[in-house]
Amino acid sequence: MFSEQTRQMAAQCRHYAMCKIDYLGTGICASGMENHYVSHFPQGRMDIYDALARELIPITRGLAEIVDSCDLCGICDKQCHFVTGMRPLEVMKGLKQHLKEWIDQGNDIIPVESDPELDALREIVGWRWATNDPAVLVTYANDPFPLAEMRMPRYVALPGTRDEVAALVRFANARGIPYVVRGNGGSVFGFVFSDGLVMDMHRMKGIEIDAENWVVLVEPGVTSFELQQAVVKRGFRVNTAEPAATVCGNIVCTGLFSTWANAYGVNADSFVDMEFVDNKGDIFRLNAPAAPNAFCFEHKLTPAPGICIRAHVRLHPVTGDEEGWFVPFASFEEAAAFAREMSQRRIGLAIGVLGGHYLSTFMSPSAALADNVRFSLTEAIGLDYVVFMIGDRFAREAVNAMQEVVIDQDLFRMFMLGLPRLADDEWLDLVSGMDGDRPPYEILLQREMRPVLDAVLQPSPETAARQVDEDLREFYTKLYARPEMTDMVWLNMFRILSARMSRRKHMFAFLVYVPMDRVDVIEQICTALGRIADDYGIDNDYGFLTPLDMGKRGILEYDYYIDHQDPAEKEKIRKAAVVFEPFLDNLSATTKGVKWLKYIFSQGCARKEAFLYT
Amino acid sequence: MESQARSVRITYPINHQKTFLVTGGTGFLGSHLAVRLLAYGHRVFLLARGRKGDSAVARVRRLLDWFDVDDGTRSMLEVLEGEMAQPLLGLNEGDVQAVIGRVDEIVHCASDTSFSARKRDHVVRTNIEGLQNLLEVVQEGRCRAFHLISTAYVAGMVSGVCREAFGDVEAFHNIYEETKFRAERIAADHCDQNGIVLYVHRPSIVYGDANSGRTLLFNALYYPIRTLNYFQRLYTRDIQENNGEKAQGMGVHMASDGTLYLPVRIESLDASGVNLVPVNHFVAAFMAIRKEKPEGGVFHIVNSRNTAIRQLVVYIRRFFQLSGIRIAEPDEFIKQPKNGLELLFENHIQVYGSYMRDSRVFENSRTAAILAGQDVVCPDFSYETFATCMRYAVDMDWGRRLYQEGDTGCAKKSLMDTKRSPHRKSAG
Ligand SMILES: Cc1cc2nc3c(=O)[nH]c(=O)nc-3n(C[C@H](O)[C@H](O)[C@H](O)COP(=O)(O)OP(=O)(O)OC[C@H]3O[C@@H](n4cnc5c(N)ncnc54)[C@H](O)[C@@H]3O)c2cc1C
Ligand SMILES: NC(=O)c1ccc[n+]([C@@H]2O[C@H](COP(=O)([O-])OP(=O)(O)OC[C@H]3O[C@@H](n4cnc5c(N)ncnc54)[C@H](OP(=O)(O)O)[C@@H]3O)[C@@H](O)[C@H]2O)c1
Repeated sequence: MFSEQTRQMAAQCRHYAMCKIDYLGTGICASGMENHYVSHFPQGRMDIYDALARELIPITRGLAEIVDSCDLCGICDKQCHFVTGMRPLEVMKGLKQHLKEWIDQGNDIIPVESDPELDALREIVGWRWATNDPAVLVTYANDPFPLAEMRMPRYVALPGTRDEVAALVRFANARGIPYVVRGNGGSVFGFVFSDGLVMDMHRMKGIEIDAENWVVLVEPGVTSFELQQAVVKRGFRVNTAEPAATVCGNIVCTGLFSTWANAYGVNADSFVDMEFVDNKGDIFRLNAPAAPNAFCFEHKLTPAPGICIRAHVRLHPVTGDEEGWFVPFASFEEAAAFAREMSQRRIGLAIGVLGGHYLSTFMSPSAALADNVRFSLTEAIGLDYVVFMIGDRFAREAVNAMQEVVIDQDLFRMFMLGLPRLADDEWLDLVSGMDGDRPPYEILLQREMRPVLDAVLQPSPETAARQVDEDLREFYTKLYARPEMTDMVWLNMFRILSARMSRRKHMFAFLVYVPMDRVDVIEQICTALGRIADDYGIDNDYGFLTPLDMGKRGILEYDYYIDHQDPAEKEKIRKAAVVFEPFLDNLSATTKGVKWLKYIFSQGCARKEAFLYT
Repeated sequence: MESQARSVRITYPINHQKTFLVTGGTGFLGSHLAVRLLAYGHRVFLLARGRKGDSAVARVRRLLDWFDVDDGTRSMLEVLEGEMAQPLLGLNEGDVQAVIGRVDEIVHCASDTSFSARKRDHVVRTNIEGLQNLLEVVQEGRCRAFHLISTAYVAGMVSGVCREAFGDVEAFHNIYEETKFRAERIAADHCDQNGIVLYVHRPSIVYGDANSGRTLLFNALYYPIRTLNYFQRLYTRDIQENNGEKAQGMGVHMASDGTLYLPVRIESLDASGVNLVPVNHFVAAFMAIRKEKPEGGVFHIVNSRNTAIRQLVVYIRRFFQLSGIRIAEPDEFIKQPKNGLELLFENHIQVYGSYMRDSRVFENSRTAAILAGQDVVCPDFSYETFATCMRYAVDMDWGRRLYQEGDTGCAKKSLMDTKRSPHRKSAG
């Protein structure tokens, strides 16, 4: 018996792979780390539950083994709740229950026969690391991207070495089997699916730091989170974006952009060299004189240079006096101008203009609280945008000299730990009544107000945990007691909060490179994307804007939000695409500095100059 | 708490029954006037808008419950869902025709009462463009009298006597005053050209019912006191439950006389205080003026005596059992800069300063003569009145419990609620 409610939750899994990294220090699903297949992580089990309930897959030996390997430890509940608000333990229990009932009813578990191709694949990667079991395959068959349908592969293989990758490519070519490489599938753009073979890189987790050369050698299964952890221990930092994304996949796929891009750049700025297996199965290095020129850019959809088997990622220095802060603004125009100026003057490392949605959603441990916090920040205290910055002491002093009101690390911690009270009705009523020419935040954020805010917010881990389910409060209290959970530098380096953006619904993100000196163009893009979404009844919101290359260019994110399980919502996107595609295509072709990320996909090794200034 | 005057039934003679359009029907003054007009046996179209999942009708229903209006009286009222800022007030065709064909008199109360320059566009849209939209709708109609609810503060930045007439003004304290002034001019020109009798009612600051304390709005006079009360409760709880850890950080403590010591100094300036009128007086004055002056005109509905801030501070200390709050000379703040609580007050005082330290005198001989003839007297703002109003405010948790009263089942749904839905577009 399947519970429809549980199935719906299972089907809501966003496939952002956050359950594959230990971002809360709880440990990771042990079965997943041991077996490496997505199917053995909570994400895969969610897919399996949904597929079983919809009778898409039979109960196979593989499935039974997956279900048995879960010890119901509950880590997934905590991890998933932190970003999505969902409690997947229910799904894990449901799977076990269903399997038990199935066996109790005297049903047989179906063995899945091998075939000559699978035998050959197993020959290459070892018996355990290739499969055609539908329970595994189904977890490699789709993501929430609304414009693609489910696509079951024939095989999944997990190579352990570069030579195995090369051998897999040669084998697939020889047998005419289409293949695709998968990092963690977190691109959620329908990129990692094939009717043939999916190569999952999860076993290739090598990290080698070459400190003298300021470089770290990274294998394709290593995630941003894991890499950052490793290099931070040695006193460095790498440019990272989404924590669960594989570093190699992220560089190749999107060119790895984040608020750090202000200082660390994008695309080819992230690495010193990259090693690939090309489509013939040969290995090459980008820096080799005879290598194909992956540094160039073509304004068309272009395949990746091959499968990245190792990236030589640049290491960056860290000074001991870094901290984060927000500079609040009442308008987007002012915030964008300030961010640009900071970049131009080379003040600060990471810079981003955030709006009410990201700010409130990232900070809040529940969706309901996020809504109230958003109201509190934007409507009540008039803080519509902030420029988020990470910088050293000198950068902070410079900003303090330029701006009267700055939310520094201490105040941020106070807000994070007092968030439920920031959104408290009584306090909000009071703040909403502050009428005056200056936005209320200018008064509330003055230094003299700190003791008052301290009394109002009563910041503490307990206060912060107040808004979550009762049985999770103790866990959240302990979590918030850890200093890094309220440390802007740590949070931005490890980026464990950003997946919260899709807590209500899956996001369909638009990333556009923009000329930073043309706020009018940036606003035009936001307005047009907003209008198109409104016309089709799609939820939408501003995402972020980060300056690049000393404020000459920037990268803008605007997001649509859809329930990917609702066919009507998918249809809305399909229809809206007829309008937004030509709009962004045309703008990219006609306005200097505007480039829709669609064209950069898979050209992540290109030099940014090749597409930003042409 | 419950005042006898609360229940509104048709008790007045139903002479010369007319049809009114009242705008701002969900507002403080608009609702009071509408209910009084209904009580006089008139028919009322109430322009109102829905908000946050509540339809205009539902909002008005809740208000009528608050006023305890009986069913018979309610049948004389019709809600027109509309938005001042939209052409034809956003009314549907049928409602436009009803306004054109049936309305005899208009009472225009809808207004954006924000003082903030940040909200300039909004304020102009409602107070200027909204008025123009309204005038356009009624231009063709049978309406022959227009009551514009303006404000005494169209007088702007002046001192001394402000005449009960249209006059020139050079500067305003805020966008609210400026738009209210411009609205008077627009209405005057329009009414002049179209042969409509114009009444410009200019109240000063209106507070709750002087007898019962009942009010729907907890801004202006109430807001700073509410702020004090909020911190009083906050720190008292802190002292009782957490050993006063946060209170100490702010220099707040329980004084030996049992009062809570809140260190709030309010900067004194030489001026004569604030002009306060209770809502029952405002309504009575409005009705008297309407009755006595068929030719219309400008009317100052004000108190002949201002209440000094110093006096208010005494009232506050006494009623709320607070100490520490006091008037201070400006140079004190040089020696000891303002603390956080004082900064909050400073902000409020900057906004309302011109009304709290008002040296303007609102000449009101015409209105006074009318009111005297009808025995309508504006009461002084005594401690008893203050206490009555504050008791109601505290009982109603400054508006948050307004509709929990009398089992209307509308807990916490404030009409003045301004919360907005989450997913909205932002940039650009
Ligand atoms: C909530 C959220 C926020 C995001 N924010 C950002 C952001 O700020 N910045 C950003 O850059 N991206 C962002 N992304 C996008 C995502 O992180 C990238 O698309 C990233 O590439 C995903 O990594 P992955 O390992 O999961 O790649 P996958 O989804 O597995 O693969 C992505 C693409 O790269 C290819 N690929 C994977 N590995 C390799 C390899 N070793 N060699 C060659 N090709 C490979 C795949 O075939 C596929 O085409 C975000 C995604 C989510 C869900
Ligand atoms: N109260 C005083 O002390 C005082 C003193 C002097 C003069 N006045 C004047 O008296 C009038 C009424 O004030 P009030 O105290 O009753 O204020 P209020 O309670 O804030 O009421 C304002 C009313 O106007 C409505 N409104 C605002 N913008 C609107 C729009 N765009 N479209 C439709 N309706 C709109 C509001 O509707 P919602 O409920 O939907 O927001 C509300 O019903 C105003 O003209 C004000 O200038 C008041």
